[in-house]
Amino acid sequence: MSSPGSTPDPRPASPDGSRARDLLARKWGYLLSGAEMIPLTAEELERELREQLDVLCAVLTRDPLDLAAVERVGGHVVSLGHVGEDGLRHTAEVLAAGLPALPEFQPAGAHADRITRAIGALATGFLVANRRSVLEQQERMQLSLLKAVRDAKWNLKESQARFDEVVTSSASGIVIVGVDGGLIRVNSAICDILDLTAGELIDKTLFDLVDPGTVGKLRAAMLAVVEGRQDRVRQSQRLVRRNGDVARISLTASLLRDADGEPGHFVVVVEDGTELVLLQSELNRQALNDVLTGLPNRQFFSSYLEGAVRRADPVHGVTLLHLDLDAFGMVCDSLGWRTGERLLVHVGQRLKSLLALEKAMVARFDGDEFGILVENTAATPDIATIAAAVNRELAEPLYVDGRGLALSASIGVARGSARDQDHTELLRAADQALRRAKAERRGQWVLFDPNQDTAARSTHALAVGMPGAWEQGELSVRYRPVVRLSDGVVDGVEAVLLWEGPQRPVAHERCVELAEMTGLILPLGEWLLGTAAGQVRWWGQGGGVAPPLTVAVTAHQASDADLVSRVVRVLENTGLRADRLVVGVPVGVVAVPEAADNLGVLAEMGVRTALEDFGLGPDDLAAAQGFGVRSVRVAKRLVDLGTGRGAGFANVLIPVLHETGVLIAVDGVTTEAQATWWRDRGADVATGPHFGPDQPAAAFYEGLQVHL
Amino acid sequence: MVQQEWIPRSVDVSVPSMARTYDFLLGGAHNFAVDRELAVHVSRVMPDARSAARVNRAFLGRAVRFMTDRGVRQFLDIGSGIPTVANVHEVAQAEFPESRVVYVDKDPVAVAHSELLLADNDRATIVHADMRDPESILDHPETRDLLDLDQPVGLLMLMMLHWVPDADDPWELTARYRDALAPGSHLAITHVTADGQDERLSEVTGLIEESRSADRLTERPHHRVRALFGDFELVEPGLVGCAAWRPAGRGDISDTSEMNTVIYGGVARKP
Repeated sequence: MSSPGSTPDPRPASPDGSRARDLLARKWGYLLSGAEMIPLTAEELERELREQLDVLCAVLTRDPLDLAAVERVGGHVVSLGHVGEDGLRHTAEVLAAGLPALPEFQPAGAHADRITRAIGALATGFLVANRRSVLEQQERMQLSLLKAVRDAKWNLKESQARFDEVVTSSASGIVIVGVDGGLIRVNSAICDILDLTAGELIDKTLFDLVDPGTVGKLRAAMLAVVEGRQDRVRQSQRLVRRNGDVARISLTASLLRDADGEPGHFVVVVEDGTELVLLQSELNRQALNDVLTGLPNRQFFSSYLEGAVRRADPVHGVTLLHLDLDAFGMVCDSLGWRTGERLLVHVGQRLKSLLALEKAMVARFDGDEFGILVENTAATPDIATIAAAVNRELAEPLYVDGRGLALSASIGVARGSARDQDHTELLRAADQALRRAKAERRGQWVLFDPNQDTAARSTHALAVGMPGAWEQGELSVRYRPVVRLSDGVVDGVEAVLLWEGPQRPVAHERCVELAEMTGLILPLGEWLLGTAAGQVRWWGQGGGVAPPLTVAVTAHQASDADLVSRVVRVLENTGLRADRLVVGVPVGVVAVPEAADNLGVLAEMGVRTALEDFGLGPDDLAAAQGFGVRSVRVAKRLVDLGTGRGAGFANVLIPVLHETGVLIAVDGVTTEAQATWWRDRGADVATGPHFGPDQPAAAFYEGLQVHL
Repeated sequence: MVQQEWIPRSVDVSVPSMARTYDFLLGGAHNFAVDRELAVHVSRVMPDARSAARVNRAFLGRAVRFMTDRGVRQFLDIGSGIPTVANVHEVAQAEFPESRVVYVDKDPVAVAHSELLLADNDRATIVHADMRDPESILDHPETRDLLDLDQPVGLLMLMMLHWVPDADDPWELTARYRDALAPGSHLAITHVTADGQDERLSEVTGLIEESRSADRLTERPHHRVRALFGDFELVEPGLVGCAAWRPAGRGDISDTSEMNTVIYGGVARKP
């Protein structure tokens, strides 16, 4: 590499000076290469820097001071590699100390000013070059990004071209329309059906083509699809031809959404009724079989099922199995999707051969899901036998690409017998059972249970309705007394939720359980904490009584990475002191590292932490001694310990718990007897219906005053 | 027709890329805010992570020069990432302009960037492929065009195999590459390890897991990294912390001893 342009005499004044410059250049290189990525050997770097040092020294010995040349030195240092702020710092430091010590600049004082100015100029040159380098790299990066996107789009264009090919050559009429029905593209088949040219269709809408008598139902159905109430439109329709004749066609419209999930446009397929008949068998074959496995697809299966249910033997009925291969995703991830596809083909064949003796249909649903319909007779084996046979068959290694892969399947089973039974209901039931099977161990089968299903469905309905209810103000905060057992005085307040639910009020415990299912608990929990903290703080202002606030969080909240920041935010916004807040965490989650971290940080902040749902087991006792926990609250289910056989062990364990120094609270106290028993065992405080109902803020506070 | 926008995940600049994060740690600017954010998090846990990146990059230079000194004139760099400073072709062609280099990466941005950088270099190219499909790389027309697999090749897999999980069997994969090479070929590997590291490494692993990147770091102990070389003969000093592999200057080592050993490095020769 060459040194900058206007090269003044680079030689040092004396051999001594030359040696001193060597040393300085070596030190400079040593510091630079230890801090920055420079792709040069130590010797190469030293040589480069020595040249630059010579340039610097030459400038410093001449008048006027050629600052431009020094700036070029700064730029040159940047060009050696990825040299940034650390490089500049080391360069400035080593030169600021080293230059004044060189023999040619003695006495040092006489040159100090010039050296300072030179280092300043060097930094300037460095900065300019560094910025240019960063900008160039960023620009190259942007270019690369654009190029990558363009390359990806090119692939997309290819597939679009294939799509165009299908549209153009299709015997069915295909129309692409906007959400408003405006025609965007048509193919020649639709022009043939309508006896119109493409030019005549410009500026028309789909609704202009449909017979006025039936256009209403098409509009309604398309609107239903746009609003997501319906998957697609499938109607018998009447189109008006050029000469006013009506063409009876079947029309299917599917909505394509754009990248943001917004409705983009409809693809409308129009099949001429007469053509349809001719093409029926071919279409059946194409449309009703899964391309990969050759098995019937879900649509075919579903329509076959409809008939099968209708003609089912009234005694034996039909059995529907919905299979999902366990860990199929893992196979694809590790061995590639091609292997996965081959595997699916094998599985399909095995299932078919397994059921060869039965009147059965095996279909491939989506992905790694299969459906099996067995039309039962007196001789059909029972469900357990079939399910076991399926898993035994799959457990035999399948050889794909030279690897033996053993699989298992989770199976949902539903039985149908009533002739009036809806086949879609049966499919749904099997699917529901499958999901339960998957929730358990792998390779399980579960029979659809209508009771469980009803309960699960109403729970789901409640859970998904909850965010809306919260927004509508149906959820409110209630205050529950925390009572000191020794004298019955209210020693704290627990904030809980109440939902004036659709049918009846939903109590706190259930609210929390529902919100936990959907994840709503995170924002809702923060709202509960914030509202209650504001309330308690308000009570405390102006000399009022403000009992410490307890808020129990769920497992999900407890391990939420944002729990601490949520608490901090609430404390800041409300002004509540950290030591006036008790945050209770389910004892079961302290094994989760995030939850343990949260507990630790909250305790360090001065928040009083508590373990909820405390069970007196050895793990629980161990947890009570860690994490800076101040109190534990014995689980509701243990409130009757005194009357059961557990009394003896409670008498032993509670003192042990006491020795750890934590306060003991009891939850779910409903009777005086329970309160007394726990008080005698040394429990400190308690909550539960025995101490009064959950109340709105004003009523709670009033009661508090009376009590005092 | 309405065109659906479609951008591959790896071109999504809201997802950090390990290659770009590495570039930032090296002091480069071929990166986006999301990559820098991850790098800052990593540096918070492991304040000297920058020096680990630098030490690994310096190893690349020494390994390539070691190979050119032994007559290797063609290189296959798998998982080459974003071309940053001191790329294989720059090191090799500086001394031996006839050296030929095939880079391989699966990240479309890295590939696009490499294509731009290499546009004028007819002795270096980039292949867009996944390391887990060795045949697609070894039989790629560009590879066949530039490399003569009957002659020794320098195969580089630097800071890449720890992104390949055990389930993908990196040992079997590297064997397929080794088998395709001629005697006299060399293999250089650098690989993150937890040997002798404290909990900060697992914190870094956790940070990567928590990021939106799909990449997962699998650190491996000495014997499992050693096994990646198969029956190739490790040259002195064997598989060691990559700073300790024939260091030649200050730039080859870090001040922090953990950063000198967090990445194993080694070069082996096919007998």
